[in-house]
Amino acid sequence: MSESLLRAENIVKEFPVYGGLFSKQVASVKAVSGISFDIKKGETLGLVGESGCGKSTLGRSLIRLIEPTSGKIFFKDKDITNIHGDDLRDLRKQMQIIFQDPYASLNPRMTIGSILEEPLIIHHLYKTQAERMERVGELIDLVGLRREHLSRYPHEFSGGQRQRVGIARALAVNPELIICDEPVSALDVSIQAQVINLLMELQQKLGLTYIFIAHDLKVVEHVSNKVAVMYLGKIVEMADADELYKNPLHPYTKALLSAIPVPDPKPRAERIILKGDVPSPMNPPSGCHFNPRCPWATEECRVQVPVLEEKVPKHFVSCIKV
Amino acid sequence: MPMSDTLLEVKNLRTKYRTEDGVIYPVDDVSFRVKKGQTLGIVGESGCGKSQTALSIMQLIQKPGVIESGEVIFKGENLLKKSDAQMRQILGNQMAMIFQEPMTSLNPVFTIGDQIEESIRLHKKGLSNAEIKTRAIDMLKLVGIPAPEKRYEEYPHQLSGGMRQRVMIAMAMSCNPQLIIADEPTTALDVTIQAQILDLMRKVQKEFDAGMILITHDLGVVAEMCQEVVVMYAGKVIEYGSVEDIFYRPRHPYTIGLLKSIPHFETGERLQKLQTIPGLVPNLYKLPEGCRFRDRCTYATDICAKQEPGLENLRGIHRVACHNHDKTRGPNEIEGMAR
Repeated sequence: MSESLLRAENIVKEFPVYGGLFSKQVASVKAVSGISFDIKKGETLGLVGESGCGKSTLGRSLIRLIEPTSGKIFFKDKDITNIHGDDLRDLRKQMQIIFQDPYASLNPRMTIGSILEEPLIIHHLYKTQAERMERVGELIDLVGLRREHLSRYPHEFSGGQRQRVGIARALAVNPELIICDEPVSALDVSIQAQVINLLMELQQKLGLTYIFIAHDLKVVEHVSNKVAVMYLGKIVEMADADELYKNPLHPYTKALLSAIPVPDPKPRAERIILKGDVPSPMNPPSGCHFNPRCPWATEECRVQVPVLEEKVPKHFVSCIKV
Repeated sequence: MPMSDTLLEVKNLRTKYRTEDGVIYPVDDVSFRVKKGQTLGIVGESGCGKSQTALSIMQLIQKPGVIESGEVIFKGENLLKKSDAQMRQILGNQMAMIFQEPMTSLNPVFTIGDQIEESIRLHKKGLSNAEIKTRAIDMLKLVGIPAPEKRYEEYPHQLSGGMRQRVMIAMAMSCNPQLIIADEPTTALDVTIQAQILDLMRKVQKEFDAGMILITHDLGVVAEMCQEVVVMYAGKVIEYGSVEDIFYRPRHPYTIGLLKSIPHFETGERLQKLQTIPGLVPNLYKLPEGCRFRDRCTYATDICAKQEPGLENLRGIHRVACHNHDKTRGPNEIEGMAR
């Protein structure tokens, strides 16, 4: 049951920056710089961080939607970093993705039925159209929409319903791992709760494994077994969700948690307000990337690059002060 | 309470849109008041009319929308009776707005300095250019922008999202407004930046002793910033009360549903099912008869289908529009849940 399903080793993704007279490469942006973790079957790994921390780039690299610059990815102990052709297509059957924006991720010219049928055709999963349509019917039931919706177009649906279609499309090929890239951040609170419940129900029913990318720490806490906090392309803290939220050790995690507005008007403990903005990943600060905003930073932090270490059993932190 | 405390009073405001598909009222019989130095929150989901309410107050409703009836009393005068020219004197001067999108609400072809100076020049006649510039730089300093003299010369694209929102606040505050209307001011920002901006807004409000209307869908932001809260649903105010009324003694099933559908910290409820409000927000063109929320309501009874509930007075300023407000699930549950 608890074998490792996906393992990432030292994933790096750099994007080149071109400039100058002949558009030569002048610099590179390290969107993801050296990330390792593993995730077990049936679990949910939450990836949190602010805009530009590289969480979506990481998610997309893991399923080879973009090619990592270096590092290795293992799916069920098989190295998938360099596979291509039929092997890669087979892999896509086992790994799917749900996108953030339900308005942009569905083709406006296709009916819901054909959107859901398409992956079945591409992967040659059923021989006849009747069989395919039966599967499409099952899928639409599974995500709580009605069969009469199949002949309609995306614009006829609300954001929450569209996100259900996106989920059904990801489920069509019976994947084992789904990357959920901010699946609820474009939705209203009451609809958000419906979609989160659906994702959790499906996970139980179908034994799915999720990598759940979000900037909302409350949502991530709610769905995840294990949480990794990212800052400028690196994991700064990773632990079981309970442990991470009860006992955050990295100053960035502490600040993130204290920054969340709590729906309770009682006055509360003084919050940690970070100074400044996230620095540009093109020109990250020396030493610890977090040092210019860190309330604990000393001279040492500007020189020494911290590594992710197990400071408490099963609780990894990347900070020399912890 | 003495009259002078009330800065703005909105009475039975109704805004109508007549379109090809029919007539709708995005703002339907909305009443509330804002006191000096206090913050009123307007919460609700997309399309509930919260932004339309703000635009109606400032008379910035675009065609085909018209304000059909009601009163907007600002410092004792009904704004709906004012001419466009008179409104221009008030907007940006005594009343200022902070918008959601710091990316699109600044003009990309003018420098930050030009944009802040524009409203000072318009409303504070008789200042010399040097005085105007000093004031603009002071405003940038006030909102915590490092190196304000340098930023003054820069264009919006050279600033980050949080910095642009600070510039928007500087612009809004440049003429010492008595009322600030902030429409989802932090929704586009990251949490750590949101915390900075909320802190700044509180500081600035205190400094100028201004009243504020804060429009948001985030109940956490409401709990931190507001003293009074209006909950809107499909154009109507369905519950109104102090922040404690809304969070500890909510009576409308929709308010209760909203509070329950947020994932909570520190409660050991992780990986559990979230309580949800079934169904969707109704289409304003096809509103159900009777109560607008009844299709999604677990407390709905026969009367809800027949008669639209009006706002009923409860304790203090607390009001609720629900036929079954005496049966809605007890407050202790909510109280136990919030921390």
